[in-house]
Amino acid sequence: MRICKNRQAFTLVEILVVCGIVSVFMGTAIMLFTNFRRGFSRSEGTAVLMQDGALFLARLRTDLNSAVIAPDSSVSNPAQLSATSDQLSFMVYSSREARALPVVYRYQASESGGSIFRREGGDSERELIKNRVASLTWQTDLERFIEPEGTSSGTLRISIGLDLKLKMRSGDEKPFALKTFIFPARLNRQLNSP
Amino acid sequence: MLEIVFSAGILALIMLPVFMTFSTGNRNIQLTDAEFRAHTAAIELMEQIISLPFGQIKSGEYESDVIVDGGQFADGPVLFKFSPAEDLWRSMKVEDIRRDGKTLFKKVTVTIKYVAAPGSDRIREFFMKTLVANENL
Repeated sequence: MRICKNRQAFTLVEILVVCGIVSVFMGTAIMLFTNFRRGFSRSEGTAVLMQDGALFLARLRTDLNSAVIAPDSSVSNPAQLSATSDQLSFMVYSSREARALPVVYRYQASESGGSIFRREGGDSERELIKNRVASLTWQTDLERFIEPEGTSSGTLRISIGLDLKLKMRSGDEKPFALKTFIFPARLNRQLNSP
Repeated sequence: MLEIVFSAGILALIMLPVFMTFSTGNRNIQLTDAEFRAHTAAIELMEQIISLPFGQIKSGEYESDVIVDGGQFADGPVLFKFSPAEDLWRSMKVEDIRRDGKTLFKKVTVTIKYVAAPGSDRIREFFMKTLVANENL
């Protein structure tokens, strides 16, 4: 009978040490992964908010840069652009229809997150941002700059101050805050045209 | 034991690019945020200049110490109007484009210098150019 005395095997201590090392490695890896994943998820949410904000701002800027004084109204009345707490409206020149059309931006506030809608002419209202607006204010400002010794009526400038804050429903993400002034170029040129 | 250490090392090397991808993604989002703010600031300055009547757009170079909220544009009477912006510096150049002794256009170049990410000392630049036509010709 042949007895093998030189059998190769791990001892219980070796196995326990290995298990300990592996669990430390795995624990660290899992912790790191979870932290990175959480951070990435937050950043992803922030990016979505930023994209929403950027698209809304681009849309509003484009519209306001096409804003005009309606042909049937008095040039001396610059109230072509009206802003209330929940609505911003003005006229834009539509090259498609070859006439000035009203454009209305509507803000619908809600505790869980407000929404912004846009309507042009007789088209149906479209949602631009859905349930992500934490706060929104828009206000028009008309200024007149007169030369100290000038004889003219001065230079008129109309601007819209926009203050927007977007947030996700979960609230973990960094809110997106935007504060800027928009100067409707065409409208301002029309206001100052001789 | 040696095998375990080796395998853990290899595993760590494999995981490294994954973690780096996450942190790079975060950095890129931060940078995009700074770029967006610089872009918004550039448009804010550009729009208020091109909104002026052609005769009021005075040629010259304007540095960040002049381009401040409430500051005079070309010695007045028009005043600059800006929303608050941190870690951001504006400058502007307005040039005449002339032909046959007449100014046909004004070339407006807006430059925004901004900090790439919060706490970073890296400064980036953003340019925006446009032409304003002389409507009085």
